[in-house]
Amino acid sequence: MRAAVLILASVFALTPDAAAQQFAQRGFLDLSAPLYPQSAPNDGGHVLGEALFRYEASWRPGPEWALYGSIDARTDTHQQVDRAAHLSLWDRERARPAFEIRRLSALWHRGPVTVEAGKQFIRWGKADILNPTDRFAPRDFLSVVDNDFLAVPAARLTLERGNNTVDAVWQVRFVPSRIPLFNQRWAVVPQDVQIIDAGARYPGGPQLGLRWNHLGAGYEYSLSFFDGYNNLPFFEPVAQIGPAYAVQRVYPKLRMYGGDAAVPLRPFTLKSEAAYFQSPAGDYALYVVQLEKDIGEWSLVGGYAGEWDRSKTAAADFAPDRGLARAFLGRATYTIDATRTLTFEAALRQTGEGVWLRSEYSQSFGEHWRATAGFTLIRGEPTDFLGQYRRNSHAAIGWRYSF
Amino acid sequence: MSKAVLLPAVFALAAAPFAANALADEARRIVEEAQRRAHANSERYEGTLTVYGKSGKIAEKRWRYDRIGSHGNSKSVIRFSSPAEVKGVALLIVNHPERSSDQWMWTPALERNRRIAMQDRRRRFFGTDFSFEDLEERDAGQYDFRMLGEELLDGIPCWKIESRPKETKTSQYDRSIIWIRKDHYVWWQLENYSREKLVRRAKYGDLENVSGIWTARTVDMSDLREGSHTVLRLEKLDYNVPMKDEQFTLEALRREL
Repeated sequence: MRAAVLILASVFALTPDAAAQQFAQRGFLDLSAPLYPQSAPNDGGHVLGEALFRYEASWRPGPEWALYGSIDARTDTHQQVDRAAHLSLWDRERARPAFEIRRLSALWHRGPVTVEAGKQFIRWGKADILNPTDRFAPRDFLSVVDNDFLAVPAARLTLERGNNTVDAVWQVRFVPSRIPLFNQRWAVVPQDVQIIDAGARYPGGPQLGLRWNHLGAGYEYSLSFFDGYNNLPFFEPVAQIGPAYAVQRVYPKLRMYGGDAAVPLRPFTLKSEAAYFQSPAGDYALYVVQLEKDIGEWSLVGGYAGEWDRSKTAAADFAPDRGLARAFLGRATYTIDATRTLTFEAALRQTGEGVWLRSEYSQSFGEHWRATAGFTLIRGEPTDFLGQYRRNSHAAIGWRYSF
Repeated sequence: MSKAVLLPAVFALAAAPFAANALADEARRIVEEAQRRAHANSERYEGTLTVYGKSGKIAEKRWRYDRIGSHGNSKSVIRFSSPAEVKGVALLIVNHPERSSDQWMWTPALERNRRIAMQDRRRRFFGTDFSFEDLEERDAGQYDFRMLGEELLDGIPCWKIESRPKETKTSQYDRSIIWIRKDHYVWWQLENYSREKLVRRAKYGDLENVSGIWTARTVDMSDLREGSHTVLRLEKLDYNVPMKDEQFTLEALRREL
């Protein structure tokens, strides 16, 4: 850890003036406050305050090399952020770390070859509303519907040859998605039952992935393969103490065969993504078909996310990817002018048992400031993935200073 | 009707298609000459965009523009440097001689690129008055032309030419009218029509000879439906800068911060 900090400091703080033109940086300070009108059985809080400072920088010591670094510093009023002044590198903490090395990687590039090693973001897939093939992208799901990606420590080799790109990824250390805290409203636990987190059993092996992408004349598609572990856990009871259950998070093996495609047609653009998963808990497939269309300043995306479950097993798990399947999903964005936008998002389960609606108004002020105000409505049955969060409808305001 | 009147009329009618063809050929020759004179193997500039709404200036944006290749066979990358919240957002445009361009947008916050659909190109580019399509290079080979005549524009003699996209070209515009300066073969005004209604007008200005190429250093694009306009100023403009194809790929988009 100390070594990582020293590298970061030496790379970015001691950048020589001679290379100043090769140095790029950006960041922001984000303040937000979700307001929940209803209390949850395990969480009586109504108003949260959250602050996030993010700094990103890159330095190119030569034409073939680049170094990237990014740090987060955050705090909140609701203890979703760890109070210890600890600098996280591996993203395995249950709560969000107060300080985190978000990205730290080195890139080498010559001709068609690009190699990046270190903690980095790897995104696969072409769909916008759900990405079944996006296997190297664990997320922070502490607030399930407002999530952020986590980087993974990996080596990535990319070869570009004409219209073909091959991406090979070797992830050396497993990074789990961060799931809701049991004493917070986004963890829905049975009433009169106390759940105690008994830690996690993290897989020790590496994860591998291979993706081939082809650009055709007005279309593109890719095939992908992943062999590793699910970054979303199963819960395994390990002890019972009265009404309290101690559960351990277990991350099962997962193998994926996937593909995605984008075909711009005259009336709309068709994007599709599908993946077949083999797991000890049972095989299943997820797929997305989405259409995009612009009408004036409206940008519309709508589609269906489906699931095919071969085993039909019911496991105690946290799986927002599967939870959002069998649903109609959509997003509409209206650009009012150069400074103002309006966004609407929706997910409706095909059974009608769960619905999620979000609207957001956003306006920038000058070169640096942006304010947002929005409202999220969640309704449905307690047995439904979305419906279980029906007490978590909320309004939110945010203020961001970017630099 | 006497023979003296009828014969010239018949000849005039018979000659009309040939005259129209000759005018179309002349119009194409002028546009192609303008394209030839603007030819450069690469181009780089830093663009400053000032967006004016109905009530005055509302935003300023900056980007860096890199292009390799030339009309019909070029690739370009537009990368925002300001305002801070869009710093790093990039657009890759791959132009094709026989069809509409392919475009991808890189969004750093998502760490991924996203293909921009053909029909998406009528949308305003990041709230400016340029649509995604307006950022494409216009290759003469993808349009039919018709000479409309000659006209003084701001006191400068110009050819006035109508262009219509060929069937293979997907465009939001049914037709455009181009004013080309007669002295330097430089585009001086462009009016774009959709459903026979004038929707956008680009006025060019600050003509300067840069590395032997006469170039308008400002483009004032008006969206006549919205009543807003955006002024693009080309700074640090240079042509034939050494560049490599590998700087214009999807991978290259993610290599920059």
